[in-house]
Amino acid sequence: MQRKIVEFTNILRKAGVRVSVAETIDSFLALDEMSLDDRELFKDALRTTMVKHWDDIPAYDRLFDLFWSGFHDVLRDELGQAVAGMGGDFDLDQLMQQLQELLANMDGDVDLSELARAMLSVDANSLEQLIQQAGEESGLDGIRNMLQIGFFSRRMLEQMGLEGAGENLRDMMEQLREAGMGEDDLARLGDLMKAIQEALRRSVRQYAERELDKQNHDYMERFRRESLQEKSFYNLTEDDLRKMREVVDRLAQKLKNIVSIRRKRQRKGKFDLKGTMRRNMAHGGVPFELIFRQRRKDRPKLVVLCDISSSVSNVSRFFLQFIHSLQECFTKIRTFVFVAELGEVTEIFRNNDIYTAIDQALDGGDVINPYTRSNFGMAFNVFWRDHLASLDNRTTVVIIGDARNNYNDPRAWCLRDMQSKAKNVIWINPEAPGAWGFGDSVMDRYVTYTDVAEECRNLKQLSRMVDTLIL
Amino acid sequence: MFDTVEDVQKRLNEQQYICGKNIATVVFLAKALGKPVLVEGPAGVGKTELGKVVAKALNLPMIRLQCYEGLDESKALYEWEYSKQLLYTQMLRDKISEILEGANTLKEASERIASQDDIFFSERFIVPRPLLKAITSEDQVLLLIDEVDKSDPEFEAFLLEVLSDYTVSVPEIGTLEAKHIPLVFLTSNNAREMSDALKRRCLHLYIDYPDEAAEIEILNTKVPGIDSRLVEDIVHLVQRVRELDLKKTPSISETLDWARALMVMNADSLETELVNDTLNIILKHQGDIQKAQSELNRLLEQKAAERAADTPQPVEPDPGKKSVLH
Ligand SMILES: Nc1ncnc2c1ncn2[C@@H]1O[C@H](COP(=O)(O)OP(=O)(O)OP(=O)(O)O)[C@@H](O)[C@H]1O
Ligand SMILES: [Mg+2]
Repeated sequence: MQRKIVEFTNILRKAGVRVSVAETIDSFLALDEMSLDDRELFKDALRTTMVKHWDDIPAYDRLFDLFWSGFHDVLRDELGQAVAGMGGDFDLDQLMQQLQELLANMDGDVDLSELARAMLSVDANSLEQLIQQAGEESGLDGIRNMLQIGFFSRRMLEQMGLEGAGENLRDMMEQLREAGMGEDDLARLGDLMKAIQEALRRSVRQYAERELDKQNHDYMERFRRESLQEKSFYNLTEDDLRKMREVVDRLAQKLKNIVSIRRKRQRKGKFDLKGTMRRNMAHGGVPFELIFRQRRKDRPKLVVLCDISSSVSNVSRFFLQFIHSLQECFTKIRTFVFVAELGEVTEIFRNNDIYTAIDQALDGGDVINPYTRSNFGMAFNVFWRDHLASLDNRTTVVIIGDARNNYNDPRAWCLRDMQSKAKNVIWINPEAPGAWGFGDSVMDRYVTYTDVAEECRNLKQLSRMVDTLIL
Repeated sequence: MFDTVEDVQKRLNEQQYICGKNIATVVFLAKALGKPVLVEGPAGVGKTELGKVVAKALNLPMIRLQCYEGLDESKALYEWEYSKQLLYTQMLRDKISEILEGANTLKEASERIASQDDIFFSERFIVPRPLLKAITSEDQVLLLIDEVDKSDPEFEAFLLEVLSDYTVSVPEIGTLEAKHIPLVFLTSNNAREMSDALKRRCLHLYIDYPDEAAEIEILNTKVPGIDSRLVEDIVHLVQRVRELDLKKTPSISETLDWARALMVMNADSLETELVNDTLNIILKHQGDIQKAQSELNRLLEQKAAERAADTPQPVEPDPGKKSVLH
């Protein structure tokens, strides 16, 4: 049992569910405490000890059903059918009893392989074990596609020694004939053994098919998880968008934890003598409480300019979700949206929950017309005219856009002035640097006036950018 | 001690807590293995309540540590009682001549004073907070660490230490060891994800919204005397509402509130008007209400049609009921 559980944890791990050794041991302890007859209890007990993330639960459920799928039942079924195929008047028990008696009387020289013996006594448990063993020995967990099923089934049957067992049984039937078994019974026994052989072939094949399912499932599951973080923003389905929203939340949470631990480390500032004296006046000047001067870590002020034209809106969407989930890491966030016009949507974020605010902002937020053609030059010019004065050396400007300017005047000098007033200008571009400056891209012109300009096409890259922002 | 998983289920039921085998299994194992349980799930599905009823079912005193942002060791574990210490200093000053009597050198004098330190920092001057109380209690207790996700990651790290060996070290006194390992329930709303290290130490339980049958049972238990058809209607609707994409999904507490309100209003089944008038009990956002309304009205009509088909002779609606509202 324990071995089977360890094997199961390996399957879970491959599907991205992290199970530690300690947790595996916990599951052994848990199973010691309860009866294993109730499959649901068994499933719950394994889950509570091994699966600690709620969003791993669906994967666990599927894998559990696959893994503990009762191949046992399959095998039992096949064997049952083999017996039933012998006809209505066939009495297995009687045959078995006769066999037992004869075998007991035959003096010791019956030499049966384990498989032959299990077949002869139609012992589903032993047969299952033998099949499992054969699976392990033939490296069945390496199975990857349908075409390999035949190959692996044959290999397993060889491992089990089905051919040998057949001869083994024929020899034994000779001995049985000499020991006085009737021809009718012998014929029946022969038929039964043939039927069981066939049943085993079919079962082994099913066993291999199930293993393939298991392995494929791992693969799909892992693929799904990894791909969301790496999936390009350009082709997201509605469903992806919803799921990514959660992924962003998780990533943001992770960043937040990191930041808060960083902060805590920095928090223990210098000893503050005056503060300590003041605080402890009440205790007659005996310093019970020590006061440390907080070392203020400069949190950046952020000004974000989001291109909301459809080619970039998803980058903007997730970037906005990130920074607004991380609000407390910044002193202040001002958010602007633009296509050709530019408008401020900071208020929208103040007055709505984050998802509503993002939706509204990406729709122009009633401050700009979103259905125009991109004109970065014009948008920057508006910012330069109305907001340049608000930039100072503690402000980081983040621009999200593809710099595809529809052959308008880029007015790069606006960006130059912004850079000289701000602490940093960071540009997040969903296009790869190879494309910058080609066609109607004027990124090559703008790059000169940025401190950092990076390609950002998926969540992984985006979260890395955000991390450097709050460092 | 619980005998079996069924026993857990039965005894929690006696405390008016309705739970399936999945919850009961985890509770059973927590007690049997002496491991803490981390209970996660959406708001109002009975996470806190579970801790409370387990304490009652096992007849254990419950100690609750409510977590919040900024909670630190001094609020959770212990604090020195400064004022008492100060008082003691005063006393010490009065006694000082006595203590110093016969001391010949400065060294001897300061040694004598130093020997008084031990008393100064002793358990006498400690104000125990929930964690210390749970650990030093004479009897086993159930420690409910509520909304642990609201605490800071640093506090979580500290909690982890306490939960791994159930000892607490007070630098001035030494190590205090638990006489009985408390049964620990931690609840979280997932405001922030707990660290893997903490999760490894705990059994994990995810409580989701109850299914229709379970929620009906909860209402029947918690709102005695309520009409069974009304319960069915309420639960059916709430379950549908939960399927919508809402800002705030109604929880069990809201279902209970709704049921109680409707009972007070003497309603015996749900009709469109009544639902529209009371929807604000289960939904708090205007946007959510609007979203739910059209969906619910459709459902109610469908339901009314089904009922009409079921009952060949339509019963005259009692005019005394439901008009309470207007
Ligand atoms: N299974 C249940 N059986 C009976 N009553 C329940 C059950 N689950 C929840 N309740 C009731 O629902 C209400 C809300 O439960 P509780 O406060 O424990 O929720 P919670 O999960 O702790 O919520 P939060 O996350 O907001 O703290 C309580 O009044 C409780 O009595
Ligand atoms: Mg609670």
